[in-house]
This record gives sequence, C-alpha cells and structure tokens, in this order.
Amino acid sequence: MDIGLLGQYIMNGLMLGMMYALVAVGFTLFFGVLDVINFSHGDVLTVGAFTGLATSLGLTALGISSAPLVVVIVFLSAIVCMSALGAFIARYLVLPLKSAPALNTLLLTLMLGIVLHEAVRLFYPQGANPQRFPSLLSTEAYSFGHFTLRVDSALLLLAGLAVIIGVHLLINKTKLGLAIRAVAQDEETAKLMGINFTLIVLVTFAIGSGLAAFAGIMHGLYYSEINFGMGLLLGVIGFSAAIVGGLGNIYGAIIGGFLFAALQTIGALALPFASAYKDVFAFGVVILIMAWRPTGLISEKVSERV
Amino acid sequence: MNVVSEHGLIVQGVYTAYDKADVLEDVSLTAQSGKITCLLGSNGSGKSTLIRSILALTPPSRGRIVFEGNELTGLPTHKVIAAGIACIPEGRKVFPKLTVEENLQLGGYQERSQDVVAARLQQVYETFPVLKERRQQIAGTMSGGEQAMISIGRGLMSAPRLLVLDEPSLGLSPMLVKENFNIVRRINEQGITVFLVEQNVHQTLAIADYGYVLSKGRVVAAGTADELGRAAEVHQAYFG
Repeated sequence: MDIGLLGQYIMNGLMLGMMYALVAVGFTLFFGVLDVINFSHGDVLTVGAFTGLATSLGLTALGISSAPLVVVIVFLSAIVCMSALGAFIARYLVLPLKSAPALNTLLLTLMLGIVLHEAVRLFYPQGANPQRFPSLLSTEAYSFGHFTLRVDSALLLLAGLAVIIGVHLLINKTKLGLAIRAVAQDEETAKLMGINFTLIVLVTFAIGSGLAAFAGIMHGLYYSEINFGMGLLLGVIGFSAAIVGGLGNIYGAIIGGFLFAALQTIGALALPFASAYKDVFAFGVVILIMAWRPTGLISEKVSERV
Repeated sequence: MNVVSEHGLIVQGVYTAYDKADVLEDVSLTAQSGKITCLLGSNGSGKSTLIRSILALTPPSRGRIVFEGNELTGLPTHKVIAAGIACIPEGRKVFPKLTVEENLQLGGYQERSQDVVAARLQQVYETFPVLKERRQQIAGTMSGGEQAMISIGRGLMSAPRLLVLDEPSLGLSPMLVKENFNIVRRINEQGITVFLVEQNVHQTLAIADYGYVLSKGRVVAAGTADELGRAAEVHQAYFG
C-alpha cells in the first residue's frame, strides 16, 4: 500500500477516534457519578451540532464573517447550550428517578433521545434532509504524495487533543475533579465531606454534554454535513467504546474510542471485503472483546473510576 | 433534656422510618457543647439510623434537630456539615481509590482557603506521622488501623465543632481500640464536642461525660457515665 494513502487512513481514523473518545468520556462520567446509562447522549450531540449550525447561519445573517470569531462562537454556543441541556436532563429527568430501577432511567433517556432527534427533524427547517455544515476553518491543504494534510483537520485534531487533556486535568488536578471522583466512589461518604451531591451530578452532566457538543461540531466541520440521525450511531459507538474501555474509567473510554476507530479503519483498509463492512467488523470485534473481558479492557478493580 | 440551648446538638422527638416502618420512635437527646456524649445500644437498636437522621442521609419523618441554635431539620447533608459537624462513618469509609492526601483534602472540602487546608493538613500529619509518610499511597491498600487514622484525620480537616463517630472501634485490634479511645479523648480536650456511638460499653463509659442507651428505636436510659455504668438498663439493652 502507498504510504501516503495509509497516512490518509490514519488521519481519518484519528479524527473518528477523537470524536468517539469525546462521546465515550461522557457516558463514562455519567456512569461514574450516578451509575446510569444516558442513552440520549448521542442525540444531545445531534442537537449540539444543529445548535452550532444555526449559530453560524445566524452570524452570517448578522454579517459577521470573521472566520476565527465565527468558529469560536459556534463552538461556544453549542457547548454552552448542550451543557445547559445536560444539566437540565440530569436535574429533571435522571435525578428524580434515582431510587427507581436503573432500567427506568435507561428507558427514559432512550425515549428522550428519540424526542430530541425527532424535534430536530420536525422543527429545524428542512430538518429531515442532511444539512450542509459551513467550512469555517481554513480549507488549505498540503500534499505529500498521496497524503493530503488538510489544515482544518489538523486544527480539529489539536483542539480535540486539548479538550481531552483539559478533561484529564479537570478530573485529576482540580477540587471539582476530586469531588467528582469522590462522588463516583462513594456517594454517601462524599456527602459527609460536605460535597453538594446534586450540584456535582449537574456539573458532571454539563461537562459530558458539552463534550458531546464539541464532538458534534467536529463531525460537522470534518464531513461538512450533519443530519438529524447522526447521533444514533455515534451514541452507540461511544457507548461501546466506554464499555470496552471499562465503564467508569475515562482513560478506558478514550482508549476505547480510538480502538473503535482503529477497528473501522482496519475493516475498511486491510480486510478483503468492501469497506461498507467496516462497522460490521468493528462491532464484531467489540463483541469478542466483551466476551473476553466482560468488565472492559481496564477493569474497574485495578483502575480508578472516573 | 429538651430545653433548646444555644449550644451543642439537640435531637428532639425524632421519628425515622425505612419503608414506612419506624426505626426510631420519639428519640430525644442532647450532646452538650464541649463534652463527650455517648450512645449505647445493641445491633439493630437504631444507633446508625439516628446518626443517619442527624446527618440527613435518612431524613427523619418527624422531630427536630438543632445544632448551636441553628435548625438543621430538613437541610441536605452538605449543609448539615457546613453547620460545623463532621462524621467519622461506620466502617471508616475511606475513598479506596484516592490517595491518603486526597482523602484528607476532601475532609476540608468546604474550606475555601488553600492556606487553611494546608495548615490543617500539617496538623493531621503531626497527629498521625505515618499518614505523612504515606500521603501518596492509595488509601484502599492500607491496613485497617491506618484507614482509621485517615478517617479520623479526614473528620478533623473541616475543623468541626461537633464530631460524630459511628462505631470507630469496630473491627480494630484491642490495642488499636485503646489507642482510638485515647484519640477521641484528645480530640475532645481540644474543645471539640464529641457524639460517640459505640458497642464497646466499658471503654466508652470510661471516657464519656454523659450517655444514652437506645433499644428498639427508643431511648431507654440516660445519665452520666457513672450512673449508666451501674444501671441495669445498659446490661439489659446489651444482654437482655
């Protein structure tokens, strides 16, 4: 295989892995603090992407055309709005069901996800059709043989990396992160330390949902297109990545995200059948990993949860 | 007993239920400021439920809880803690996957000043030098006695005015139990009000000023430590 083409596949895999990792970290954070699976997470990503799109259209209508400014506002508006939505979901839908069986929360968030993406389909103008996402970043590209490095892709990757490092620092180096880890390990004792449990849960949902919004904008900028159903597959992949990595462990979730993207890339590249089978291959391997390591690659016993 | 004073902890006519079955019925008691008050009772007498009620982990269905004249009834746990109360929970409950120092820092969670937290940390390390040596160790890998030190140190990190201890000697070797009681006495000598829940009758009464005996969710005896030491109810509550 041509080395340049291989580089192209790797670049694409890294981009996908970054998005999956960002989504997976959300799943794992929610599970950490509340032991719940939030199935609406993928659709929060969709709403975030559409919030970003609407913002960019609004800015264009206002005549603001400075590209760097638009990009920053688009990211910020999506992240802020989805953080608020995440906190709202936690406060009014997930926390009230805290003493109910976990299955109820699962069903509720599943239904909420449907409500969210159907709302996008029905209420966004032409929402049933894929929407073009404006290319807000530099479209310059540098060619090295068959490998073309797009400046926007490189910027997105760097931004994603910065966000992941930011989450790592937040969880491990700040007082807020310490409180989140304490709540994840022992809710009652965390309360006895004077931690406002409800607040920590809301903040955690806000962080996770903000990450999903970031991933949604990344998706839009990378593919130049978003649609109301985009969150479904991304949600399932993010959830799988979190499970494969060992639910409750953020490093596991990050590894799981990149692993899934690597599997898709291998499925598309190295296997004898058509690249359309890449998801079948990737999910098949995930099923095998789950059979081999039911508690995930980084099992909870040896790892620090959240 | 039910006089509302400006000082100490007052529990007044508390009823607490799990799934509608009352575990506590009309419990009233006072932990006088600056004193060691103990609560004795056998397994299942409702001691832990009373602690959970005071700390709002299982809020009472009726009754009042007042600390230093402030109404705690109906407040969430973190606000009860903010009133100046710290708890050393049953089974010590260190955060097993956090380091010793992170555990201690969580004890001072509500203190905003980093300098104050650092100063308190130094105090705890002076009291328990072994914790300083092992401050980067993961708490779950330490021995029961060391975890007891973490739990007590963590409780002191908020500089509480009332320390609630739930069976601190449970599961410790006799030597450590003795050491534990000495530590409780020394904490009290620093002016911290102590509310001590224990099964270890003799050693508890030896350090306590005043005590209550709980049986089947009701206070069946109250008195000074000397009085309780002689009272038949104590024996009955434990052995009857």
